[in-house]
Amino acid sequence: MKDVKTYTPPDFHVIRDPDRCIKCRACVDQCSFDATFYDEEEDKIWNWDAKCVGCNRCAAFCPTEAITIENRTSPYRVNESWGNSNVVGVKKRAAFGGAPVVSMGSDKPYIVYWDHMLINASQVTNPSIDPLREPMELKTFLGKKVDRLEIQDGKLKTVLSPQLEIELPIMFAAMSYGALNYNVIEAMGRAAVDLGTYFNSGEGGLHKDHYKFKGNIIVQVASGRFGVYKEYLDVASAIEIKIGQGAKPGIGGHLPGEKVTASIAQTRMIPKGTDALSPAPHHDIYSIEDLRQLIFALKEATEYKKPIFVKIACVHNIAAIASGVAQAGADVIVLDGFKGGTGASPQVIRDNVGLPIELALASVDDRLRQEGLRGKISLVASGGIRNSMDVVKAIALGADAVYIGTATLIAIGCTMCQQCHTGKCAWGIATQDPFLSKRQNPNIAAQRLVNLVNVWGLEIKETLGAMGINSIESLKGNRLALRGFDLNEKEMEILGILHAGE
Amino acid sequence: MKYLIIGNSVAGINAATAIRQNDTNGEILIVSDEQTRPYSRPLLPNWVIGEVSFSQERMFYRGNDFFEKNNIETLLGKKVESIDTKAKIVSISNSESLSYDKLIIASGANAILPKNIVGIELEGVYTLTNIKGARKLKENLDNIDSIVIVGAGLIGTKMAFDLSKIGKKVVLVELAKRVLFPALDDYAAELVQAELKKNGVEIILNDSVVQLNGDKKVSEVVLASNKKIPCDACLLSVGVVPNTTFVDENIRVDRGIVVDDYLKAFDDCYAAGDVASVYDVVVNIRRPIPILPLAAKEGFIAGLNASGALIKFNGGFAMNSIEIGNVGFISMGLIESDDDEVLEYKKDTEYRKFIIRDNRLIGVILVNNVEKAGMFNWMIEKAFDVSWIKDTFLNSDFGWKYFDKAFRVLRLDRKLKG
Amino acid sequence: MKLVKINEDNCVYCHLCEVACKTEHSISKDIIKAVKKENVLSRCTAEFNYPYSASIMCRHCDDAPCIFACQNGSMHRDERGYVVVNQDTCVGCWMCVMVCPYGVIKQGKNNNDWDLSVKCDMCPDRGIPACVEACPNEALTFEEL
Repeated sequence: MKDVKTYTPPDFHVIRDPDRCIKCRACVDQCSFDATFYDEEEDKIWNWDAKCVGCNRCAAFCPTEAITIENRTSPYRVNESWGNSNVVGVKKRAAFGGAPVVSMGSDKPYIVYWDHMLINASQVTNPSIDPLREPMELKTFLGKKVDRLEIQDGKLKTVLSPQLEIELPIMFAAMSYGALNYNVIEAMGRAAVDLGTYFNSGEGGLHKDHYKFKGNIIVQVASGRFGVYKEYLDVASAIEIKIGQGAKPGIGGHLPGEKVTASIAQTRMIPKGTDALSPAPHHDIYSIEDLRQLIFALKEATEYKKPIFVKIACVHNIAAIASGVAQAGADVIVLDGFKGGTGASPQVIRDNVGLPIELALASVDDRLRQEGLRGKISLVASGGIRNSMDVVKAIALGADAVYIGTATLIAIGCTMCQQCHTGKCAWGIATQDPFLSKRQNPNIAAQRLVNLVNVWGLEIKETLGAMGINSIESLKGNRLALRGFDLNEKEMEILGILHAGE
Repeated sequence: MKYLIIGNSVAGINAATAIRQNDTNGEILIVSDEQTRPYSRPLLPNWVIGEVSFSQERMFYRGNDFFEKNNIETLLGKKVESIDTKAKIVSISNSESLSYDKLIIASGANAILPKNIVGIELEGVYTLTNIKGARKLKENLDNIDSIVIVGAGLIGTKMAFDLSKIGKKVVLVELAKRVLFPALDDYAAELVQAELKKNGVEIILNDSVVQLNGDKKVSEVVLASNKKIPCDACLLSVGVVPNTTFVDENIRVDRGIVVDDYLKAFDDCYAAGDVASVYDVVVNIRRPIPILPLAAKEGFIAGLNASGALIKFNGGFAMNSIEIGNVGFISMGLIESDDDEVLEYKKDTEYRKFIIRDNRLIGVILVNNVEKAGMFNWMIEKAFDVSWIKDTFLNSDFGWKYFDKAFRVLRLDRKLKG
Repeated sequence: MKLVKINEDNCVYCHLCEVACKTEHSISKDIIKAVKKENVLSRCTAEFNYPYSASIMCRHCDDAPCIFACQNGSMHRDERGYVVVNQDTCVGCWMCVMVCPYGVIKQGKNNNDWDLSVKCDMCPDRGIPACVEACPNEALTFEEL
């Protein structure tokens, strides 16, 4: 029975040019959303627009450019007050009685602070540096720094905390084995090794085959504690306690049962086919002292040889929270902004809860400096880092390094159709389906990731040179390198930057 | 080293090729009673009705420069009268003698002329297994309006269709209960029969020719059933018999020349092709299997062995590829059985039939969807255990997709020989 | 002698190899005309049986049974060492189809409407076979086998 009260016009329109279509069936066999069909009798290919999610896989493969995917504007009378998404939102809830789940980062038209900041360049008085002639240091160290060094008898007396050495301030963000498939994790691992950086296992544990990437892995201990056991901690270079995630602050991770295959079940140590729901809080962390206890328990378990990260979502009191976390003994604090991506999240949380990373980062950096704690921890920023200049601006606002999640996926084929939670990813990324997973060839994906990060590295070096700086260390927290525009006074104050022209 | 090959067709040519591959210096001499460049025997019916001509390269088995390029001598138009395997001498017409170090007999097989048919020596009686017979028919073709074809084998059935196509009145007489008796079962043969009838051929089954009547030239054919058919030509295509009249007592002959697994008949003497009695792996007896692909392979192996190798010929089995009008088949091995496992599929014009014994494929018939036939050929040849895959044979889209990954990778990467 | 290696773990069943093969073996070399006007047969065939998919074509066997089976020498080994059909002399008797252990020979027609055996010829006019170049996921690679 067709549910006419829930009729929502299709978001996309698939247009096929019959003169160009050679009926090769590439589109039919690539569509993983059952939107494209071949009628043998009529020798014709046709679509159900309603099922099209705009992944563009068919258009990408069509050898004759016969397919165009169009964004349909809503045929409802234009209503600026409600907007199409709210109308559809009400209808869906009325029809299904369930909270809609979405994936990837929020697509709502919130302001993007990165695009309101400009970067300085050097001229005349402080000459710029030619990155082709002078060495540019992008290397950085994540971990607890000491206030001063004590040397006795020509030897270093001060005990140094364990540091994570990375060749450039970009790491692959936490995306679990479960949200993503084996091939993508394999690609991230290979790329991390190649680039001299790290990838984060996410909260799903680590497949045994990926232990070979030891030396380039940050493992995550999240509220569900999936896959956490001795070998997991052994293979890690650092351990990240995930308190929250920018895309869905306050709630736990969610892997729909469709994506829990035998292998995922084994890695996570849960039954096959069950939803993997991480609880909202860690049920053993109800105060900052509990967090301190867990941090030190992990340090004990790893003989104090590995830095402990704590990842928190950006929420209203982020500065106070970060201060508490620093005092609790964390070596690195990861701030995850609300534009970050997710494999599955309730739609209302993703689009309404959290803070932008730019503001959070600036206020945390300020607060920690005020309290004399900034040197005690490293800061990693994540949540909507889209290009190399976002990285530069993030560092200028106070970050030591960034995590890239969405950008990593886009580099290997993702077109942000926001269907990760269905497990039908047409690009073979966010799916466990063995046929779809073949679409990610680890050789090709790893190469693309290496390309992306290398180019960002080049662009950052170029920009540093233009700024007259030859090392990331000189950019860190250097608010004077930035100028804002089209922002109000309060925003400028929180960001701690001057207005363009000042 | 002197290599002597009797016969200038498929087996002989492949033997010569193999010898030259193995021995760059030895003398190779091919002697044959046919005067022409080696031609494609299966194309003779097409030649008779004018679809191909001897001026087209298509008609010939090898290129014009084949003998020169491979340094092979030929002695054409000479019939072998006798061979002395002890003295290693071959006597040809005009009392010429040829000595050899290694001999390969590839003299082929020719049409059976049933001695019991009265009147067989009349004019207007034709056979079609070599250029001589074909030429005779082609020269008289314009004067023939109606023809009786005796024996609905491969040649007879094909000629029946082709001659009817060019407007002749054709009656096809067959001893068995269906056409193409050893190659097809009743169901498949009926499809052929329908196609023949559609094209104007009259078919008489379960009958045979006992007498030919006529004054100098045949004008009437009398069947065992007493039916009388007026005609002005008669084509005899009841089978072929190996040419072995010239062998000496050292060479054993049953239905064909008896050879061992290395195609050896006697010391330094090999036989290959339609003349040789080889091991039929499906029916488990030794007999000549007059099929072109087997003749080529046998010739090649005999050549390799004659020039010093020791390669076993693992045997063959009957296999046929036929197209009669719109109906195309490939069949191989045993095509009907009451004792074995039989799998059948019929839909529209497609027919698939498989006969399996002890989990080995021993027979296949494919009608109108034949492109994967070779995969089954391989399975029969290698006595492949089909217990785990036979459930998928009847699928019209049968192919590599139904095998498992391990086997597929082995074969497609050419890691499993053969 | 390099051949096309089939890596079924990388095949996404996109048919681009078939399209490239048809285009390469067409007269017009135009994708749309090759398929719609010339009706070119692809020498490689993509097949699917969830979750398996791969494109299969001639393996250019060392002891190719099709060469032995050919009734008039049309099937032969060319100077590069690959097994190819002489399109001018092939009569389409399908003996090669009958013996090909990989089932990779198709029944086609030539320009003069004679039946013709159609199979992979390793793209004699190209450095790298068209299918290998077209494959977007390294499911077909050009290497020594």
